[in-house]
Amino acid sequence: MVQINFARKEINCKLVYYGPGLSGKTTNLEMVHQRTPEQNKGELTSISTDGDRTLFFDFMPLDLGEIAGMKTKFHLYTVPGQVYYNSTRKLVLLGADGIIFVADSSRAKLAENLESLDNLRENLAEMGKDLSKFPLVLQWNKRDVADAMPVTELNERLNAFEAPSFEAVASRGEGVIQTLKELSARVLARISSTEQAGLAAPPVEERPAAVEPVEKPHAREAAVQAQVAPPPVGGFQIERNEVQSEPRRREPEPRTLPLPAQSRVASNPLEEMGVAACAGPSAAAASGQASLVAAPAQVATLERPRAAQARPAARAEARAPAHCHGVPPPAESYRREVRVISGRRHGAPMRTDSDRSLVVGLIFGVAVAAAAVFAYTRFFG
Amino acid sequence: MTQRSPVVSDAALRQGRVVYYEEHMAQVDRVLAEFLRRSGARSAYLIDKDGHLITKAGEAGDFHPDTISALVAGAFAATKEMARLLGEREFSALFHQGERDNIQLSLVGNRAILTVLFDDSTTLGMVRLYVSEAVSRLAGIFERAAAQPGREGAAQIDPSYGDSVQRTLDNLFK
Repeated sequence: MVQINFARKEINCKLVYYGPGLSGKTTNLEMVHQRTPEQNKGELTSISTDGDRTLFFDFMPLDLGEIAGMKTKFHLYTVPGQVYYNSTRKLVLLGADGIIFVADSSRAKLAENLESLDNLRENLAEMGKDLSKFPLVLQWNKRDVADAMPVTELNERLNAFEAPSFEAVASRGEGVIQTLKELSARVLARISSTEQAGLAAPPVEERPAAVEPVEKPHAREAAVQAQVAPPPVGGFQIERNEVQSEPRRREPEPRTLPLPAQSRVASNPLEEMGVAACAGPSAAAASGQASLVAAPAQVATLERPRAAQARPAARAEARAPAHCHGVPPPAESYRREVRVISGRRHGAPMRTDSDRSLVVGLIFGVAVAAAAVFAYTRFFG
Repeated sequence: MTQRSPVVSDAALRQGRVVYYEEHMAQVDRVLAEFLRRSGARSAYLIDKDGHLITKAGEAGDFHPDTISALVAGAFAATKEMARLLGEREFSALFHQGERDNIQLSLVGNRAILTVLFDDSTTLGMVRLYVSEAVSRLAGIFERAAAQPGREGAAQIDPSYGDSVQRTLDNLFK
């Protein structure tokens, strides 16, 4: 979803590279990164497996600089291509403004291309979006392989929507930039042909499902229509066709009161003062706390060595996706939090005397209990 | 270089998109500044769920704000999926603990994530205490902004914007 931020004078768009595994999505992004002037790009970040396969996504910001007073950025993402990473693909696809489908030209990969395209159609449909109306550009990659299918045949088999398509050899950078520029043009065309004026924005989750985006076929016509469209309303506007697949649910009331803090502290002083974890994983889970550690994954920045052609497909598949671990063991957490409290340097003081005395009392109580247990085991154990 | 007609207008751009106006962002910035002062945290980033940075306050880190925004949104999206598997709607807060620096992520309404970076000059408890207060205030600003009628002319995008973007792309990748 395009973000227009007048306060920061920024316009941000999200473009996603989609396609089957090993079709060259990450290579495309690497080439874009390589060919973009230093001042116009951020880091290329990859969340990949040890085997150098995309696990979650690759990401790079492409900064076009200030255009007509607005700093314009494209955020480029790739998805993991392997079939079983579909839930991850959906996450990356959320909020996308345009898609580049990178197909492998090899005849042996036709079935995978078709499967991935179907998967894209299904995932967009789940979000209430129609692939035939979505800004899409196809790239026939790996034109240099021996069994490359003719472009006409690829178009016949894979391009039912007659989307623009480009031949490419991404590993040599051929066709990469043309594909990206074409998608950028289509995304902008779509922006100009958005469906309705934004209304005051209720929570997105409460919108009815399956509101179809209305896209005009030609940019010029769209621009003309846009000029006469009714003015926007609302300080924050949200895309009309942003649709959630979930049933409508009302946002639950916040669990905590904003103020006064004192009353909240009184209800659970230890938790509020930094010893939440001492209550153990259950308490942490109840407060929605989680600690994410992508154990086999690595978040690499730029120039990770890739031998795209030589990567054995099986090696990375054997590796598990990111794991989610619970909070640290209760005893450890408790030690850490207590240390932090006693080691408070120039942080804000505790809020009230009663809070302080309550904590001191509790710590003293625990110490006395521990001493009693120790004495009991020492003399009667 | 191919000349294109303007394909984007101010009105067209603003329709059906997430638009943040200065007036409300000033309120947001005030809330973030106050939050940092009271909590002792180093910096705060307000990020939308699509991974775009909305605004930030406090110390600038050594990292690219767009990159941290994309990763935070990705982490939040991933845990939402985990929550779904557990029968939860989504987790409203996440905490990443490091040796020196920590990150607390909290959901603001339905569209934004408040990302707080802090070190051992404050505590998780203090940060959480003031995060919950800040989140309520930010959600209130978002709701009020969404409920307000539009202010045509409050901010403008040059009508030639779309055309200029195309020219910039052409120049960038000659």
